[in-house]
Amino acid sequence: MIRSRGYWAGVWREFRRNRLALSGLVVVLALFVVALLAPLLANDKAYIYISQGKAYFPILFEYPELAGLNFREESEKAFVIMPPIPYTSSEYDLDAIVIPPSARHILGTDEQGRDLAARMIHGTRVSILVGFIAVFIYVTLGIIIGALAGYYGGVVDMLISRFIEIIICFPTFFLILTILALVGPSLVNVMVVIGITGWTGIARIVRGEFLKVREMEFVQASRALGARDRSIIFRHMLPNSLAPVLVSATFGIASTILIESSLSFLGFGVQPPTPSWGDILSQSRDFMDFAWWLTLVPGFAIFITITAYNLVGEGFQDAIDPRAVRK
Amino acid sequence: MIKYILKRLLLIVPTFIGISLITYAMIRLAPGDYTTLRAGLQGELKAGAIGNEIIEQEKRLYGLDKPVIVGYWDWFSKLVVFDFGTSRKDGRPVAERIGEALPITLALNIISMIIVYIISIPGGILSALKKDSLYDRVSSLILFVLYSLPSFWVGLLLLMVLSGGDYLNLFPLGGIVSDWAEDFGFFDRMLNIAWHLMLPVATLTYGGFAFLSRYTRATMLEVINQQYIMTARAKGLSEKRVVLVHAFRNSLVPLVTLMATILPGLLGGSVIVESIFSIPGMGMLAFEAILARDIPVIMAIASISAALTLLGILIADILYGVVDPRIRLEAGQ
Repeated sequence: MIRSRGYWAGVWREFRRNRLALSGLVVVLALFVVALLAPLLANDKAYIYISQGKAYFPILFEYPELAGLNFREESEKAFVIMPPIPYTSSEYDLDAIVIPPSARHILGTDEQGRDLAARMIHGTRVSILVGFIAVFIYVTLGIIIGALAGYYGGVVDMLISRFIEIIICFPTFFLILTILALVGPSLVNVMVVIGITGWTGIARIVRGEFLKVREMEFVQASRALGARDRSIIFRHMLPNSLAPVLVSATFGIASTILIESSLSFLGFGVQPPTPSWGDILSQSRDFMDFAWWLTLVPGFAIFITITAYNLVGEGFQDAIDPRAVRK
Repeated sequence: MIKYILKRLLLIVPTFIGISLITYAMIRLAPGDYTTLRAGLQGELKAGAIGNEIIEQEKRLYGLDKPVIVGYWDWFSKLVVFDFGTSRKDGRPVAERIGEALPITLALNIISMIIVYIISIPGGILSALKKDSLYDRVSSLILFVLYSLPSFWVGLLLLMVLSGGDYLNLFPLGGIVSDWAEDFGFFDRMLNIAWHLMLPVATLTYGGFAFLSRYTRATMLEVINQQYIMTARAKGLSEKRVVLVHAFRNSLVPLVTLMATILPGLLGGSVIVESIFSIPGMGMLAFEAILARDIPVIMAIASISAALTLLGILIADILYGVVDPRIRLEAGQ
């Protein structure tokens, strides 16, 4: 007997064939690793420091006797292994402001002498955090609202659909800016505001899928067996509509990262000293005529991240679409 | 058809009220005291230099002493006679400030939209007809890259490389007209404006360009595999006729609806582009109003942008009927 492979295994098999989408996935995973390991990748504390026959692990533990020591300058006197970027994201050095990439600072420094590479690495966390949490909020909202409309139909559907039409006409970015100006910009507020303004797309998809499957036999069967509405919606109907929702969510992460960096660019995003790619790019405007690295590096990071998520989304979409033309 | 348009027109009114009511309620209900946020006031209030009267006066002035619904009704009844109130920032009538800013933003967006449609529709069709050819692959890849490029980065790079600094000095840094062009003749003045608008239009255009080309290609591909296209070919029509009359006309429907979905995003895009190139348009006005918590201006911009969007959707709906007779018939019944 041949065991049927699950639906998701089939999707993965299709996805794997698409080399561009796979490379997008690799970039996405690499960014995750960078975000997770940021304090290990860019830090002014040494991994290992051996002095007078004693070994220390300053990056992991606090040593009172090593307080105030600059590990970067100890390499001649002691055995030191530093992280790849031996600076933190907030360590300023007024002797080295706006210097181009060099051996000491591989991506150069900003207007307060902070290491750009360290700031970029720590900025990855903001992008990923905002991308995932904001999308999670609006996917949840979209699923609930769309499911109510699609499952109950009639007046409920009419009211929700009208409401969605109103929300779609909103100038979303302007709305987000206005709300952030009133409640004050911060990481949490950015995530929540993007989350509560972005759900309409998902709600429409879920509503459409629910309208498609609600008259199907498996739904009638579960209803006949006496299942509650909640269990029919979430355990029987939702899994059947999940694939297009997840595709849309993947593209959603790309656009959320773009919105977050635009907000930070305008000064309405994550507040300093937390490093954010959009904020770094925004500060580069003062030195644009010569400091090419401050403009090039953060913009390129945003671009690569968005491209990677879009590639994954596209590959995912082709993989779940049976009509997709096979090469 | 007229009945159909009337029906759509009637639907616009509740939608517009919904949008402006939500915006107003949100501004009023957001945490943070609106009046004391005015720069400078906070410190003087603490120092005892001014009393609470000024705050009461300001609240009265902007209707903040009334409940949300009453405040909204006051705003709305003035709007009906096109009275947007006065700006909190400089006391000028809001309508006047918008009158200066709106044409600039509209001009920018209309120019870039025309360029987008002119270039990307033929490009998309060609791509679909020559699917998997070298042209298709290369253009698809380029468009994908363009699609993912953040506009504020592209704007900054264009400025950095083309507008002075250590590199080329071909374009001005910002604004829409040079100071020294004030007393130029009409033609030279227009040339000067065009020179200023080159980079902003490029920044606004490339994204839509990528989006629309990919969209045209996709809808065209869907249509070209239909059986009626095969029939058209089988009865011996020229390829040109098959493509332009039979296929393209049917792929127009999604292209028309697309116009309506682009519109709400225009203001947001303008905020970024206008802030990079210092263009005194709606985006800049919106940004300044938000920074100054200028409720009359924020409300006016939100409602104008909503009205333009609704108008765009209405036009798309009507065009929809023009390109697809089935919709016309259904609506007539």
